[in-house]
Amino acid sequence: MKETILEARSLVKKYGDLTAVNDVNLAIQQGEIFGLLGPNGAGKTTIISIITGLLEPTNGSITVDGLDLQTDTNAVKAKLGLVPQELALYPTLTTRDNLDFFGSIYGLGGKHLRERVDAMLAMVELTDRADEAVKTYSGGMKRRVNIAAGLLHEPEILFLDEPTVGVDPQSRNAIFEAVEELNRAGMTVIYTTHYMEEAQRLCQRVAIIDEGQIIALDTPQALIRSLGGGILVLGLEDPGVDSGLGQVQTVVDRIVELPSVKSTVRDDGHLKVETYRFQEALMGILDITNQEDVRITSLEKWEPNLESVFLHLTGKKLRE
Amino acid sequence: MQGLNIQAAISVARKDIKIFLKERGMLLYLFGVPVVFILAFSISAGIGSAPQEEAIILPVVNLDAGSAASQTLLETLDKGGGVQCALYEEAQAEALLHNGKIERVLTIPSNYAADLQAGNSVTLFMVNGPDSNPAKSEAVQRVVTGVAADLSMETQLIASLRQMADMQAAASPEDQVFTSEIIVEQAQSQFARARTEPLLAVKESWPETLSEEDEQEFNPLSVYVPGFAVLFLFLTALTTAQSIYEEKKVGSFRRLLAAPISKPTILVGKMTPNFIIGLVQIIVLFSAGFLLFPVLGLDRMSLGSDPLALVLICLVVLLCSTSLGVLIAAIARTEGQISGLSAVVLWAFGFAGIWLVQMPTGGFLEAISKAIPHYWANVAFLDLFVRGQGLADILFSILVLLGFTLVFFIIGLWQFDYN
Repeated sequence: MKETILEARSLVKKYGDLTAVNDVNLAIQQGEIFGLLGPNGAGKTTIISIITGLLEPTNGSITVDGLDLQTDTNAVKAKLGLVPQELALYPTLTTRDNLDFFGSIYGLGGKHLRERVDAMLAMVELTDRADEAVKTYSGGMKRRVNIAAGLLHEPEILFLDEPTVGVDPQSRNAIFEAVEELNRAGMTVIYTTHYMEEAQRLCQRVAIIDEGQIIALDTPQALIRSLGGGILVLGLEDPGVDSGLGQVQTVVDRIVELPSVKSTVRDDGHLKVETYRFQEALMGILDITNQEDVRITSLEKWEPNLESVFLHLTGKKLRE
Repeated sequence: MQGLNIQAAISVARKDIKIFLKERGMLLYLFGVPVVFILAFSISAGIGSAPQEEAIILPVVNLDAGSAASQTLLETLDKGGGVQCALYEEAQAEALLHNGKIERVLTIPSNYAADLQAGNSVTLFMVNGPDSNPAKSEAVQRVVTGVAADLSMETQLIASLRQMADMQAAASPEDQVFTSEIIVEQAQSQFARARTEPLLAVKESWPETLSEEDEQEFNPLSVYVPGFAVLFLFLTALTTAQSIYEEKKVGSFRRLLAAPISKPTILVGKMTPNFIIGLVQIIVLFSAGFLLFPVLGLDRMSLGSDPLALVLICLVVLLCSTSLGVLIAAIARTEGQISGLSAVVLWAFGFAGIWLVQMPTGGFLEAISKAIPHYWANVAFLDLFVRGQGLADILFSILVLLGFTLVFFIIGLWQFDYN
């Protein structure tokens, strides 16, 4: 069992009547890549802002490595590295000037600062262009500098807030590799994203966030497994009101009896069927609808992935 | 409560100064534009400071009342344009000047006519009250000096010609020595003498607190240099506000807040460049007024006679401007609001500060003007540079400015949105 390095208990953040974060509890293990997955506006950035000490929570507490954020603020902050969603850099300054500055506000200086800046420039492969103004860089290069700025002081926990937004595929891969490399070196990473592919690829555990709440938390594999063989969404049409038999309800009652079906939910004119074994369930459903003379007007398969987990849990798509 | 991390504050300030130095437009705006403004206003003030449409009432005490010469002087002053003489008794004028009811008094000495007649030099005394409008005093002084010079020349030339005519009349026909060449030469000599040793001189004095050596001619630069310096010093408050806004916009402010430094450290770091830029600005502008403008043919501005008072008032104005920057950053939520404050508040207050201190005392405008820090900064600089006063005299202005500083800073901190 890995040691818990960060613990957030009962976090609440309210803005007037709006509850942006609602009773969030997290226990991040040392050396893991932990994902916060949720659509835009779900509360991911607010949670990160509270944990990194940018925002005062309305309620709740945070401990990092046994230190309380409230009472040992600077000691906790020194252990954290933040890579904000925005390109939080000074565009008219050179990359070296930017890194020098961000290192200095973490107390680095002299030879140690120079060495760290050089190391970070090498890591993001920008040594040759270190003395050029950041504004002359491409979007991907700026993203790399943005990450380097959060790593200068060798934090124990790195927070990456949507680091691939607006990044080309090549730079995105470079960022993934850098994150994996840092994690292999022992760094704990908390990664927020609304791209399920990223969470699925990088994160060892994922918390799915919606409307300020954690609605599921597990490994990506376990979350996906919870969908079984996938979900089938059917549109069913009753043969006619004249019959008055309510055949659709009969169909639903028979489908749920199938051994390959886990559960069914009727929602908004559709029948959502959670399966254990997709193919077997599909064949059984087709048989039943034929026998009951119920017409299938639409049929959609949700592949078992984090996107469909979110859809299943919230009825919304991640990118809505 | 987290403490102030000086090292981190210096890092923030150094970074902001680096950014500032890369903004050439801003450098021009903060250093070039004020110099151009000062030159433009000073030159225009030098050319036509006297209002043409409306004559300035000039209270006169005529101690030689009844003499034709003093009457001629009064008529010439009235005809000269710009001023209109109003006669007062000596005691009455003194009382009114003391109470600030009149701004200045011209005194014609009792032996005016007799001395002129005898060819002795005569001095007219113009005393300015403590609240006199320097621009108007300058205009009046120019009119009186001009009229005195004209009268000197006229009197000396006529006296000389009369003397020659008398000598000619007394001489026998064969001794007629005054050829046309000699007459022209004599006239030129008198003309030159009238300029270097005028019969009629004007001595101007400023408030009674001034010593003899402090008495000086009004110099528009001594008003416009500090006036525009104050205007532009307060405009640097915007650089603080804009810098904080930019940090928030690009997200780097989140990085600063995430670092192990306190919020006061960040604010001090953000305020320091404003203070330093303002300090450089004031040194540049005062150096221009003192060293550069004389090279360009303008008068040298006065820096007063109390260096300690000058340094103190400069530092207090800078503090006030810097705290105003924090206040603007706290209350302006958008770039548009910052620009709006720039256009409406700081420019308007800046110009108002320059002009209001030159207005006659009393009334609605004075009451309003006292509600803006620019006014008190300008009053203090005028007291030092134009009225030749010292630290004790500007102490009240300094205290008022410190009061503004405190209010701006407290409201700024209270309203500042770190999120």
